[in-house]
Amino acid sequence: MASITIRQLAKNFGPAPVIRGIDIGIRDGEFVALVGPSGCGKSTLLRMIAGLESIDAGEILLGDRRINDVAPRDRDVAMVFQNYALYPHMTVGQNLGFGLTIQGLKPADIARRVRQAAETLGLGDLLDRRPRQLSGGQRQRVAMGRAIVRQPQAFLFDEPLSNLDAKLRVQMRTEIKALHQRLGTTTVYVTHDQVEAMTMADRIVVLKDGLIEQVGAPLELYDRPRNAFVAGFIGSPAMNFIPGRLQLDGAPSVLTDDGLRLPLTSASRGAHGDRVLYGTRPEHFTIDPSRGLSADVIVVEPTGAETQVALRLAGQTVMAAFRDRIGARPGDRLALWPVPGEAHLFDAAGGQRLN
Amino acid sequence: MTSASGTWSADKIELGHDEGIAAGPVRAAGSLAGATRRRSWLSRHARALTVALLLVVVLSPFLWLVQLAFRPAADIFDDSLLFTPTLDGFISLLQGNFPKSFGNSLLVSTLSTCFSLLIGVPAAYALTRWNFKGRDRIALWILVTRMAPPIAFTIPFFLAYQYLGLQDTVVGLAIVYLTFNLAIVIWLMQTFFEAVPATLEEAAWIDGCGIWQAFWRVSLPLTAPGLAATAVLCFIFSWNDFFYALILTRTNAITAPVAIVNFLQYEGWEWTKIAASGTLVMFPVVVFTVLVRKYLVRGLTAGGVKD
Repeated sequence: MASITIRQLAKNFGPAPVIRGIDIGIRDGEFVALVGPSGCGKSTLLRMIAGLESIDAGEILLGDRRINDVAPRDRDVAMVFQNYALYPHMTVGQNLGFGLTIQGLKPADIARRVRQAAETLGLGDLLDRRPRQLSGGQRQRVAMGRAIVRQPQAFLFDEPLSNLDAKLRVQMRTEIKALHQRLGTTTVYVTHDQVEAMTMADRIVVLKDGLIEQVGAPLELYDRPRNAFVAGFIGSPAMNFIPGRLQLDGAPSVLTDDGLRLPLTSASRGAHGDRVLYGTRPEHFTIDPSRGLSADVIVVEPTGAETQVALRLAGQTVMAAFRDRIGARPGDRLALWPVPGEAHLFDAAGGQRLN
Repeated sequence: MTSASGTWSADKIELGHDEGIAAGPVRAAGSLAGATRRRSWLSRHARALTVALLLVVVLSPFLWLVQLAFRPAADIFDDSLLFTPTLDGFISLLQGNFPKSFGNSLLVSTLSTCFSLLIGVPAAYALTRWNFKGRDRIALWILVTRMAPPIAFTIPFFLAYQYLGLQDTVVGLAIVYLTFNLAIVIWLMQTFFEAVPATLEEAAWIDGCGIWQAFWRVSLPLTAPGLAATAVLCFIFSWNDFFYALILTRTNAITAPVAIVNFLQYEGWEWTKIAASGTLVMFPVVVFTVLVRKYLVRGLTAGGVKD
C-alpha cells in the first residue's frame, strides 16, 4: 500500500489539453473517487496513474517513488477496466493467477493465492470456466479478483460497474466498499455516477475540463459545494437553481425576475443587486401554506421512500422531494417554501459560492 | 366488421371457382394432379438439383484427373467410365524422381510459410498497435510485391540468384515465396490483431507483461485461428507455384508442379503419371482447405463488419 501524490499534472491530446495542471494527494489506504461529466479527463488521469498514458508535465509519486517514466508492469498497481478485460483464452483460475505467473511465483503459491482470492469473491466454483461462460457480475468479480490477488500498492478502477444492471450495480458497490474496508488498499475509482462516488469514497475529486472543481468528503461536497457546477453535479435529483438579484436591504434574500422573494440566512460575499443563482436541493423545500410561494405541479413521481414533484416556480421547472406522501396531482398548486438555512448562493456569472 | 365479412365472402366465391375446375372430367383431373405432383417435386428439389449440377461442372476437371490417375495406361483415352482401377501410376511415380520433388515442395512451402509468419506476424502487430508517422504508407508499400505480375520480378530474381549462387536451391526458392507471402501475412494478420481489444494488452501490461510478452501471451493466442488460416494460405501459394520453380530450378530443387511437366516428354506424354502426380499434389491443399475453411472465410472477411 502507498500514497499517491499528483503534482501539476498535465496532458494534451494533440493540441487539445485534457488534464490542465492537477494536484491531488491521496493518502495511504484512502478511497478516492474521480467524478465528472464525459470528457472531463477523469479516465485519462487514471490511465496516467496506471502508466497507460504518457505525462506531458508534472509528476506522479507512488509512495516516495516518482513513477512518471516507470513502465506499467513495474508500477505495482492493479486496474479493473470498464469492459473487464479478462483474457478470453484463459480460465478464471488462469486469469486470476496471470499476474503471479508473470512474476514467476511457484505454482503452489499461485494456486493458494488464487484460491484465497476466489473464495473472498465467491468465485470458488468457477475457477475452471472461461470468461464467456460467466455472467456480467461474475466477470466483474473475476476482474476484481485479478487485481486483489496481486496485493498491489494501489487499486485503480475505471468505471467498473457501468456495464452492470441497476440491481447488480448496487450490490457490487457494497462489495467493493467492503473489500476496501477489509484490505485497506489505496484505491482510485473513476465513475460518472455521482451516487457511486458518494456512497463509496472517503473523498471525491470533481473534475471538469481537465481541472479540479472541488476535492472533499462526500457530505462536504453535498453540503458546501464550492461552485454551481459541483452543486449541480453532486446530488440526485440535482439541485435547483433559480436566477435573481441579491437583496441585502433588510433580511438577506434573492428577488427573482418574477418578483418572488427567496429567503436566505446570510450572504458573506456579494453586493446588493448582484445577479445570483439561488440553489436549493429538492429535499429542502417544505410546504408552508402561510408564507409559501405558489408553484404549479407538473409531474408527480412517487418512488416509495419519497415523492418527487416537478413544479413550475418563478418561471422555471424545479424539483422538490418530500418524505411524506403528499397527495398532489398534476395541475394542483402547492405553497413551496425553501429552507433558508439550506440555501446555496452562487455568483450568476462565475458560479462561485457566495454564502 | 362489414368489410371483413365482405372479404371473407369474396374468398369463398374464389374457392368455389377452383372447385369448379377440379370438378371436370376424371381423366383431365388425373393428368392435372400428376403434373402438379411433378411440378411440386421439381420445385421442392430445384435448389438441390442446381447445386448438384453446378458441383459436377465445377468439380469435373478435378474428378476427371482423379479417375485418370486410377485408370490402366492402356485405356487412358477410353470414353467409358467403367474400368478396373489400378495403382500402377502411383507405383511408377514412387520409383522415379517424383518423391524427391514432392519432398522439395514440402520443404520449400514449409520453410517459406514459417519464415513469412516469423517476420510478418510481428510486423503486422507493430503496424496495428504502434502509432508512428507514415504507418499507413508503409503498410501500402508492403503490398507492392503483389501489385505487379510475377513475371516482372523474374529477371531481377534470376540475375541476383545467379550472382548469389541461390539458383536451383530449396532455400533460394523459399526466399522468393517469402517475399510474396509476407504481404499476405502482414495484411491478413493486421485485421486479426485489430479485432483483439487493446484493453486486453493494457491489462497484461499492468499484470506485469512487457510489450512483447503481452503479444506472446495474450494477443497471439487470441489470433490463433487467423494465424492458422494465414499459414494455410501461404503454404498453398508456395505449394502451387509453378512459374518461379520452373525458372529458378534445374535439377536439385525441382518442385512437384515442375516435375509433373517433366512427364511431358518427346517420346510421349505419360498421362497416368501426370494424373497420379497431379492428384498427389492436390491432396494436401484439399485437406488443408477443408480443415481450416471456417477460419479462411473469417480471415478473408475479418473486420468487414462489426462483430
